[in-house]
Amino acid sequence: MWWGGRGQSFNIAPQKEEPEMGQSRMPEPRKLGSLASSLASGCLPGEQILAWAPGLRKGLEPELPGILICTNFRVTFQPCGWQRSQETPLSSEYDFSLVNIERLEAVSGLSRVQLHPGSQLKFIPAEILIHGRDFRLLRIGFEAGGLEPQAFQVTMAIVQARAQSSETQQYGGIALSKAVLEQGSDFRKPPIPLLETLEDWEMELKKQGARGWRVSTVNERFDVATSLPRYFWVPSRILDSEVKSAFGHFRQGRGPRLSWHHPGGSDLVRCGGFYTASDPNKEDIRAVESMLQAGHSDVVLVDTMDELPGLADIQLAHLKLRALCLPDSSVAEDKWLSALEGTRWLDYVRACLRKASDISVLVTSRVRSVVLQASWTPPPFVPSLSLLYHPERGDRDLNGLLSSLVQLLLAPEARTLFGFQSVVQREWVAAGHPFLTRFGGTGASEEAPVFLLFLDCVWQLLQQFPAEFEFSEFFLLALHDSVRVPDTLTFLRNTPWERGKQSGQFNSYTQVYTSGNSQPQDGNSINVQLSVWDWDLRYSNEQILQFHNPGYDPEHCPESWFPRQQPNFIVPGPPSSMWLFSRGALTPLNQLCPWRDSPSLLAVSSRWLSRPATPSESLADQEWGLPSHWGACPLPPGLLLPGYLGPQIRLWKRCYLRGRPEVQMGLSALTISGLQEELTCLQELLRKWTPRVFPQDHCKKRDPNTILSQTQ
Amino acid sequence: MAAASTSKYNSHSLENESIKRMSREGANQDLSETVPRLPGEMLITDKEVIYICPFNGPIKGRVYITNYRLYLRSLEMDSALILDVPLGVISRIEKMGGASSRGENAYGLDITCKDLRNLRFALKQEGHSRRDMFETLTKYAFPLAHSLPLFAFLNEEKFNEEGWAVYNPVEEYRRQGLPNHHWRITFINKCYELCDTYPALLVVPYRTSDDDLRRVATFRSRNRIPVLSWIHPENKTVIVRCSQPLVGMSGKRNKDDEKYLDAIRETNRQISKLTIYDARPSVNAVANKLVLTGAIQVADKVSSGKSSVLVHCSDGWDRTSQLTSLAMLMLDSFYRTIEGFEILVQKEWISFGHKFASRIGHGDKNHADADRSPIFLQFIDCVWQMLKQFPTAFEFNERFLVTILDHLYSCRFGTFLFNCESARERQKVMERTVSLWSLTNSNKEKFKNPFYTKEINRVLYPVASMRHLELWVNYYIRWNPRIKQQQPNPVEQRYMELLALRDDYIKRLEDLQLANSAKLSAASSSPPNASQMMSHLQTHF
Repeated sequence: MWWGGRGQSFNIAPQKEEPEMGQSRMPEPRKLGSLASSLASGCLPGEQILAWAPGLRKGLEPELPGILICTNFRVTFQPCGWQRSQETPLSSEYDFSLVNIERLEAVSGLSRVQLHPGSQLKFIPAEILIHGRDFRLLRIGFEAGGLEPQAFQVTMAIVQARAQSSETQQYGGIALSKAVLEQGSDFRKPPIPLLETLEDWEMELKKQGARGWRVSTVNERFDVATSLPRYFWVPSRILDSEVKSAFGHFRQGRGPRLSWHHPGGSDLVRCGGFYTASDPNKEDIRAVESMLQAGHSDVVLVDTMDELPGLADIQLAHLKLRALCLPDSSVAEDKWLSALEGTRWLDYVRACLRKASDISVLVTSRVRSVVLQASWTPPPFVPSLSLLYHPERGDRDLNGLLSSLVQLLLAPEARTLFGFQSVVQREWVAAGHPFLTRFGGTGASEEAPVFLLFLDCVWQLLQQFPAEFEFSEFFLLALHDSVRVPDTLTFLRNTPWERGKQSGQFNSYTQVYTSGNSQPQDGNSINVQLSVWDWDLRYSNEQILQFHNPGYDPEHCPESWFPRQQPNFIVPGPPSSMWLFSRGALTPLNQLCPWRDSPSLLAVSSRWLSRPATPSESLADQEWGLPSHWGACPLPPGLLLPGYLGPQIRLWKRCYLRGRPEVQMGLSALTISGLQEELTCLQELLRKWTPRVFPQDHCKKRDPNTILSQTQ
Repeated sequence: MAAASTSKYNSHSLENESIKRMSREGANQDLSETVPRLPGEMLITDKEVIYICPFNGPIKGRVYITNYRLYLRSLEMDSALILDVPLGVISRIEKMGGASSRGENAYGLDITCKDLRNLRFALKQEGHSRRDMFETLTKYAFPLAHSLPLFAFLNEEKFNEEGWAVYNPVEEYRRQGLPNHHWRITFINKCYELCDTYPALLVVPYRTSDDDLRRVATFRSRNRIPVLSWIHPENKTVIVRCSQPLVGMSGKRNKDDEKYLDAIRETNRQISKLTIYDARPSVNAVANKLVLTGAIQVADKVSSGKSSVLVHCSDGWDRTSQLTSLAMLMLDSFYRTIEGFEILVQKEWISFGHKFASRIGHGDKNHADADRSPIFLQFIDCVWQMLKQFPTAFEFNERFLVTILDHLYSCRFGTFLFNCESARERQKVMERTVSLWSLTNSNKEKFKNPFYTKEINRVLYPVASMRHLELWVNYYIRWNPRIKQQQPNPVEQRYMELLALRDDYIKRLEDLQLANSAKLSAASSSPPNASQMMSHLQTHF
């Protein structure tokens, strides 16, 4: 799926004469060579065909004849007569990047073996099964009668290529970037700001209307933290020198930065846990406190570890979910629901939505600073499961998940295609979510698909609010399927620093920085920074149009939430109320930092203490009562409050069950898009016949280019 | 909705909204304005109570009991709570607490409902208010025990449409192409003398005489002989329903029955076999999955297997009805329209003697009766699963199904009363009560699925895997205020807007075309005919 680019010549040319394939049962070496070279003409730069064999795609109707090809990047099935440049199904069954292959099985007669790296195949396979980590399945049957050696070769080639795949993917992305370069493509503007330049950060800050904040350049050389972006937002009145020393007292140097400014005045801030072993001086403590306070008199520290799954939990749940959703899963029909519950995946989705909903209430119910932070004191009540491994706890994982979800719940802007991609780029990619490690790319033990958990949460929101999101389920699927595709660096590095270094961009940037030059001279290389958001590299126009949710109501114009008046930003003196939000309730805090015992600054407000929170009563209930009462007391504008009770959390079938044949049946109908097409035709007719009177456009222009690159 | 506020939340109902407004203004107004009343409905009593809401905690309110419903309005300023419960849904009323009860709100009534609600009211111990309320409720919720009529016989509602006219068996069989060379309509059961739980009109093999039928009846449980339910319009295979054979202790066979089955088998020219689907407990309908699976097998045999299928269970009125009606829904798109579905229910369930009175227990206080069973609910659940899997295949929406289930219990309409057609005839149900279909067909717009796309010959095969069956949250959990879905569905709304826009465009195009053709009548080249263009544009629709 991934290399099938529009405007690129990556197409692996299909065999023209189908019969010839069948007849030449045993290609001579020379002939094999020529076929290989003709296949190779469609390869990526640096891609080599290791083996191929004619085969039959099985398991789905109809069975398709074609060729199975193994390269050093991927395994791909090439149906006869199928052109790569043609549009392909969105969840293509044809391409499996080597890192995506979770399990490889060979079947012959009654024997069925799993092939691990280093395995030797003891028989000629009649069929092989390739299970993807992304829930896809490819079943290829091989013909008997002379072609067995090829079937054997291609299977063994896959086994070997897979063993070496982790290294391969390290440069896959660069290869593609270079390829675009070599083709002499023009300056290619990123579809969304990649937040690698000062201008991007300045622009975004302005868009959010966050006065009182500024872009700090203190990390330009990544010497504050390699996991942080070069630029981030800090309160205006904090000097860079103060930022630098204050950040040293947080885990991994990840001090408090602005995530998002709510138009109502509140600020959403995220940071790592306090580095309790450090011994800050008075000035540092003051700086830390004013960064957390962010000029507000009301500060809430949200413990983003409690009641949420740990990395090990997420990984385990996802593994179980994958095992359960395999097409040949041995789970009995009548045990399906309990097995699904047993994965705990839906439970974790639920916990994330609940937490995000609570944080949204904190942000909107009054003007305050809401700080997302991993638990800063080791509390006695942390669930034992979460203690497994978290040396860095929080800011690079669940903080990103929560801050993105909160923005989706609060900001209509974030629910557009452009806005959503920007949020992911800012809160995950730029914020240093360790994608490579979390998707198992480094072989380290800290594999955990936190990002996929996030996508599932977003899918739940799409189900619950079908008219509020500009993007569709298909877009989420595309994003889901992109995390292991080694064509861009977006998901293949752990930190902005690594990403910049590997693309060669970092070096040139360093040059610029040291020499003071404004424009790097050596290269087109600097301008070509492809990201996952360059969808047209992998998806056809048709498919990109499907990223658009036909039920989205364009009435929800993002402009409406733009800043109203700002409350007086600078609050002199310490905050008048400080809280810790944990276990669904607010507890008053005596001080924000753990390092000293200062006299209590707290004027105890009784509001939260007087109403003991019962587990069933959420913050939203406390603020606005039951949903049936909301008519009387309107919710803040733009706010979506998700349902997170058991039955409201559903399984993302079109993603997790797509290896199963019944899902291929037309269970869905995009009726609205059909109607929209018809309306467009009618409009055209009207336009043609009456040159003077134009009917009002019924929907936004559905041109993929405008959808994906409406940079304002 | 969007105009009033941009806030969005996933649990809101328009109905609540209107009731709320009404109740807030009407706190001190005349009762007649605050309690909704149907023609024929009478207020019996009202009481001040504390309603112990499972979601909100105790709420002070006033309860009004009529001969049709229990209605509660909150007396608290900040609560807009309304309860509107037809007495027919009540399955059990219990007193809680005694004279010695001390705890707060420990003394009162506990009411269990057939629609999965549980209502608890706390009452004052003084003044016999609990006894009054208990007695009134018992009397009107269980009228059969008090020689009172069911409310349906008192209901004086008038509707624009006559629901009793929806189902006419002769017309329905004619729609199926019956009678034909192989099948005839027999009046042998005109006065229910052959089988008292079957309808008056039956379709049987052409060459079987009425005398033969009488002999077959002796061999079938409760005389429910095999008769035709549905015939395939093209391959002429049929679905036949009946009760179990009376094989008895001796295990003896019956020549007449065998001969009769042969006659049925021979109506099918393609395959010499008749498939017999035995739905008795070994393939028991313990879950909707099994029901769906069974129906799919029946539909598949008929449609692709080209084999006639005979379905039976023990008596042929529970599982048999589920299987035949679901299979017919999969095979015949007519039953997926609003009226078609009404006919399906009327035919396969009501006329063929599904024992609604016993299974639901209308007006009967014996809540533990072993005859009660949610067979019909299970059928509607399966229909809902199909609705979910084929969102464009049905003319009706989820609300239609919920309405049917609500009035399955309410006793407001005569539709689901009594066990069989002969009993209904004796009670003159059609003259003395209103049909549920009068309500639905007078408000069709409310029950229409905007995404419906008419497809004539498409057979629907739903996926019956547990992986794809869903919990019907909007029915089973609808009383939880935190779980209500957005009403109306915003995507449906958007779709309706676009449909209106399309109609507008088409109208303007036609106007233009008229103007143009007048203007250009002299000119040689005129624009393409608008309706031609339109018909082309609508094809994919």
